[in-house]
Formats: sequence, structure tokens, C-alpha cells
Amino acid sequence: MYNLLLIVPLLLVYLELSSNFELSNVVVGLLIVSGILLLIRPRRRPMAWHRLPSAIVALIKYVVILAYDLIMSGIQVARIVLDPALPIQQGIVAIPSECESELGSALSAHAITLTPGELVIEMDEQGVMYTHCLDATKSEQYVAEAQKMRRDLLEKIFS
Amino acid sequence: MNLFLQVIAILAVVVGTLFSVVGVVGFIRLPDVYTRLHATGKVGVFGVVFLLVAAAFGEPLGWGRGLFLILLLVITGPATAHAIGSAANRIGLPRKGAERDDLVYTSKSKS
Amino acid sequence: MKTLEIIFTDILYVSLLIHIVLMSVAFYRVWRGENVIDRLLGLDLLSTLTLAVLVLLSLINQRIIYLDIALGLAALGFVGMIALAKYVADEQMF
Repeated sequence: MYNLLLIVPLLLVYLELSSNFELSNVVVGLLIVSGILLLIRPRRRPMAWHRLPSAIVALIKYVVILAYDLIMSGIQVARIVLDPALPIQQGIVAIPSECESELGSALSAHAITLTPGELVIEMDEQGVMYTHCLDATKSEQYVAEAQKMRRDLLEKIFS
Repeated sequence: MNLFLQVIAILAVVVGTLFSVVGVVGFIRLPDVYTRLHATGKVGVFGVVFLLVAAAFGEPLGWGRGLFLILLLVITGPATAHAIGSAANRIGLPRKGAERDDLVYTSKSKS
Repeated sequence: MKTLEIIFTDILYVSLLIHIVLMSVAFYRVWRGENVIDRLLGLDLLSTLTLAVLVLLSLINQRIIYLDIALGLAALGFVGMIALAKYVADEQMF
């Protein structure tokens, strides 16, 4: 049952990439997708159906915040580079991620790298992310609040 | 309708080229490896994403492949930047004029 | 309507020229780099600019096959850059 749920999106990706919607191509794609699923054998996860709407709402909110951060980061880096005086005060700030799962830590590191002027350099076993900032004199309060909001959204998505 | 799509494609190509120029200028001007990572990792990917938006609007069949490539770039771009920054930290490159430095370099692999 | 297409084609050719000049600048930084990480960063930038040139060729020639090649180049460039960074950091691949 769970494998049947995975066949449909993989088949859609194959049909899009080959851009050929005839019946023979659908059969060939079905064979390839089932071969991939037999090779990988994904682990079965319990699906919480009653929590699905709140997870979808949290996912949409997360993607919107990520897109806004991406655009702001592009504009900010371009402004710093094109300034003749190069106003950078670089430094490394430690941010604790406080996520239980490894997937949550990895995804919050990915999101921090997309936010303006920050880039995760190193990460230790307790989940503390050492972040390189272009403007290290910014208040630490703002960074902690953004990380708390991000962690709440990720826990809602992957619960 | 066709006019609208074409104006969007022209604007996307112009903005993407501007971001590519900014990325290479930052790669030359910035003083340090860690700050150059910001310029190339973010602004370089930004230029390709805007060109792909132009390809998704300008070609009749290109939207699916363009969206797939945008997703791939947005996922893999920060991972590449993190890998190169971690390598620069492991071999002990200095940070010029750092305001604060919470990460004390400890040599793990080499002694 | 017709003039807009001519303007679009001109902008595409100018953008292609700018990207090729940027590629030569990045190649110069790979050749005369300060240290290993600087050259690695130049290679990453070179691969991204090659991706941009492929997308521009797909827009100029109106052929979809260049986007497929760009997809393969993006995936292989990602894996190669991760492997090179790990080799520089730990002096072993696996």
C-alpha cells in the first residue's frame, strides 16, 4: 500500500521528463519505477492521517518563508558587493538547533544557509550550528527567534 | 497574453544576467574565502534560476523541466556551499578581521 | 509583436556574450588562485555559468534538448563538487 503511494509521483516525474504520454511509454515507466522501488526498498513510516491538513498548511507557510528569505538574501548580498566601501563585519555565531531528529537539524541548516548573509560552516554532535555571518554585530535575539519559529514548523510537518 | 509572457521572459533574462555579473564581481572583490562563498553560492544560483524562469515562460514545452531544475538547484546549492566552507575550516584557513569567533579550530584528521 | 521578438533575441545574444566573458574571468581565477579552496570555488562558479550558457542556448535555438543536458550537468556537478571538497578536507574520498 505504501509502495503504491510512492509509485504515482515517481511515474509522474518520469512521464514529465520523457514528455511522451503514449500507453507504451506509461508501461515502460511503470516497469522502471517498480524496479527502482524493489532496489531501494524504502522504510515504512506510520502515516498520521488526522494530522495531514495542519502539516500541509505548515508546509505551505515554510515554503513561502523560504522563498521570501531567498529573494532578500540575493538583494542583500548584491547591495554589499556593489557598495564601494565593502561594509562587512564577518564573524562566526553559534546557534543551537534543538531539534530531536537528524532530519530536522539538516533541514534547519539548509534553511539558515538560504537566509540573508548566513552560512552554516560546521555542525557538531549536539546539533550546534556554527554559522558564518556577513554582519556579525546583529542582535542574537532575532536569530534565536527565527530558529524557534523554523523548528516549530518543521516539527509540525514531520510529526 | 503572448505579449505578457514575452515581457516577463525579457525581464527575467535581464535580472538573471545582472545577478551573474554581481556574483563574479563579488568573487573578485571580497577579501576572504568565507565571504566569497556568500557571493558565489547565492548569487550565482540566483542568476540561473532567473534564466530558468525565462525558459519556463518563453518555451512552449519547457515549464516542467524548468521547475524540476529550479527545485534541484535550490536544494543542492546550499549543500555545495556548506561542503566547501567545511573543507576550508578543516584545513585551517584564516578569517580576515573577524568580529567574533565562536568556533575554535581543533584539528581532527591531521595531528 | 514582431519587434518584441527581435528585441528578445538581441538581449539573449548580449547575455550569452556577457556570460562567456564571465566564464573567462572565472577560469583566470582558477588558473591563478590564492589557495586550494579558492580554485575549488572557481570551479563551482564555472560549472554554474556553464549551466546558464546551456539554458541560454536552449532559449536561442528553441530546442528542449539543452535543458536535459543542463539537468545532467547539474546533478553530476553537485556530486563531483561534494567529492572534491571531501577529498581536500580529509585527504581521502570515502
